[in-house]
Amino acid sequence: MKHGKFSRVLALALAAAMMLSACGSSTPAETPAAPSTPSTETTTPAAPATPAAPAAPEAVEYKTELNIAMNANPPSLDVPAVNSNIVGGIGMHIFEPLFSLNAESQPTAVLADSYTVSEDGKVYTIKIRQGVKFHNGQEMVADDVVASMTRWLEKSGKAAPLLGGSTFEKVDDYTITMTMPEAYSDALNVLAGNIQWAAIMPKSVIDAATEEGIGEYIGTGPYKLAEWKQDQYVHLTKYEDYQQPVGESSGFTGEKLAATENLYFRVVTDATTRIAGVQTGQYDVAEGIPADQYSILAGDSNVALSTKTAGTLNLFFNTTVGVMANEGIRDAIMMALNCDEISLGAYGEPALYVVNPGWCNPADSQWGSTAGEAVYNKGDKEGAKAAAEAAGYKGEEIVLVTTPDYPEMYNATLVVTQQLIEAGFNATIMESDFATFMERRADPNQFSLFITSNSYNLSPVQLSVLGSSWAGLNAPEVQEGIQNIRMAASASESRAAWESLQEFLYEYGAACVLGHYSGVIAADADVEGFDYFNFPVYWNAKVPA
Amino acid sequence: MLSYILKRIFSLLPTLFIVSIVVFLVVYMIPGGPATAILGMEATAEELAALNAELGFDRPFLVQYADWFGGVFQGDWGQSYFLDMSVLDAIGEYFWPTFSLAIYAELISLLLSVPLGILAAYKRGTLVDTATVSVSLLGIALPGFLLSMFLMLFFGVTLKWLPVAGYVELSKGFFEHVRYLTLPALSLGLVQAAYITRMTRSSMLDVLYMNYIRTARAKGLKEAAVVFVYGLKNAAPTVLTVIGQSFGSLVTGTIVTESIFNIPGLGMLTMSAITRRDVFVIQGVVLFVTLIYVLVNLLVDILYGFVDPRIQLGRK
Repeated sequence: MKHGKFSRVLALALAAAMMLSACGSSTPAETPAAPSTPSTETTTPAAPATPAAPAAPEAVEYKTELNIAMNANPPSLDVPAVNSNIVGGIGMHIFEPLFSLNAESQPTAVLADSYTVSEDGKVYTIKIRQGVKFHNGQEMVADDVVASMTRWLEKSGKAAPLLGGSTFEKVDDYTITMTMPEAYSDALNVLAGNIQWAAIMPKSVIDAATEEGIGEYIGTGPYKLAEWKQDQYVHLTKYEDYQQPVGESSGFTGEKLAATENLYFRVVTDATTRIAGVQTGQYDVAEGIPADQYSILAGDSNVALSTKTAGTLNLFFNTTVGVMANEGIRDAIMMALNCDEISLGAYGEPALYVVNPGWCNPADSQWGSTAGEAVYNKGDKEGAKAAAEAAGYKGEEIVLVTTPDYPEMYNATLVVTQQLIEAGFNATIMESDFATFMERRADPNQFSLFITSNSYNLSPVQLSVLGSSWAGLNAPEVQEGIQNIRMAASASESRAAWESLQEFLYEYGAACVLGHYSGVIAADADVEGFDYFNFPVYWNAKVPA
Repeated sequence: MLSYILKRIFSLLPTLFIVSIVVFLVVYMIPGGPATAILGMEATAEELAALNAELGFDRPFLVQYADWFGGVFQGDWGQSYFLDMSVLDAIGEYFWPTFSLAIYAELISLLLSVPLGILAAYKRGTLVDTATVSVSLLGIALPGFLLSMFLMLFFGVTLKWLPVAGYVELSKGFFEHVRYLTLPALSLGLVQAAYITRMTRSSMLDVLYMNYIRTARAKGLKEAAVVFVYGLKNAAPTVLTVIGQSFGSLVTGTIVTESIFNIPGLGMLTMSAITRRDVFVIQGVVLFVTLIYVLVNLLVDILYGFVDPRIQLGRK
């Protein structure tokens, strides 16, 4: 009997709680569609346009919180030390570099005021802006910049190979010099790069850093770190003493308004949850939308989709160990590949990829190139079979290592494997979780081929494929090509040197770009001022309340 | 009774030791290390080696294990290099969302399953029984993630009654706390309810046709008293065992549901720790989960004595 009473009481309590919880839900009020967001590469306002609302006489009020659903927890916010788009993207709101990229991808001053280059091209003298304060209230001076740039050069995998041997020195409190061993024509581009970029921090933070990274995240950016709840969110608040750089907002440069007081970067690992959240208004922006959800969201009038060609899906060949050391066999594998089929298998949505042999953005006038197309995307299985036999292939196992943690990499591996089997290769897949995959990938004894997706680099000399630690490529032509690009007397000479190197990569059978992918971000249709540049940029984003 | 409880707790120590060494060995042997997780995909071999050396992961297995084991005896379960907090603090922080969710889900499941199980047994062979058995079979067969998605789409996206994901701490308001936990609790609770309903029905059927039930009815007792006092009380040990198992599985973390609904609980901590190779967190969570399971089972055993005086623990 007691049990029965207890159950009834519990039933009533639970029913009441559920009713209250349902009634208490704060569904966002439906608001008319806002003006379209500023230009990202493409922005789809989705489905049929909402009828324009009559102009409101009173000023629009905006929310004080912007909720962004991101797909992973940042391992750290130590921007120069960690190669991660999430780290770089959040870090862009907290830290600033001396130079960054404007909307036309040109290096533009941010914390730098001006610079001069010595006659021999080896010394850059950079004046820094005066009166810029870090989030801890301390003014940024040359000591901070020298310490930050020196650490960047040491930690950033993108900077060290390009500016190695360079030194940074203080001239006076607001002037520094960068002295390079050679006159690198692309030095300013490297300083303005946006992968493992040169964030300026107080010298005291750099001095206290360990091998694990910095312990405090203090920058000069429009937002400061308020709270970081691991696996839940990174909360940034507007930095009231922020000193605006000159110029209109453009890419990562110019005016940064901190239009919404609080930014919450929420960790939402499940893609379906991120999508449901942006559809219901719980999140204002959802990053990392899978390609197979694109067409579904494109039909939702409450959601605006932004896409940007963001990088390449690449097949890397072992060039040093076992059967793969035979260039003829690598050429035969290259001949078997049908990149259209592979990209379709990887992304599912033709609007979200482009098949092109270039290792850089095809739209990049300096580095976009189709060199190597003579051997690219042939899909010639019979020809590949004959070429492999001629090269002495005797059915040795071709091992493709991969990880299901990244669906596009995994799906592409399945298609490549099938194409190789059809071309007579004894191809097999070895799959594992991401960390294990990374370890296998780093050891040429454990793989024949592997696929990764890699973001674009500012300069082709930063490409992973050119580094011997990535897939073991150690042909002397690579270093020679890099030197030719960097020491070229003019932009056109530099481009020609890169085209020659890209062609070598295909003819040597070092690697193959399977396709260029687009990143997709879904935002509530009411979000204004959001820009999807190389990372999503939120400092001018706001949402009507 | 006390000596029995102490004996059970003491017998836990070898279990924990074996579990700890096996887990440590497995994590040590699988390729991929924490440095890769921290430094990202394009870190060089030199950078990875330097960080592994700083973290102490380049030392031999036995040295690493002995170091950790020695710490455990001093109350130091290690440090999460990723979360930047001690393992015990991490478990403490991630446990409460899971615990809240487990209680809520268990309440839902009990409120549905026990009455339905009793009703189905009492109305054996009728449409009510058939419907209950069919629905509970469906509940057991339905994958948890599918039910979660359905609930999210229906109550969150379509009706917009409840948030689709997220977690609000109890300290920030009871109703917000409950509102955010309702969908995941329903998802877990309905699946658990299906299982408990079947077990309740089954154990009630065993009891309801016993001679003493017939005698009770012959004495003229009211039907409610026959079912609840004589029937349910005797079926209770089996039901309690099932509830204990159910609560144990809920409270030790439900990886899929927590991931879908974005709840920072033990399930999510476990998954993240494995992905990041956060060795000491993996160790700590596994030990904690083992401990919880054993304690829940111990609690159920103790409760047996209360619901059925014939069961006297610790007596030979």
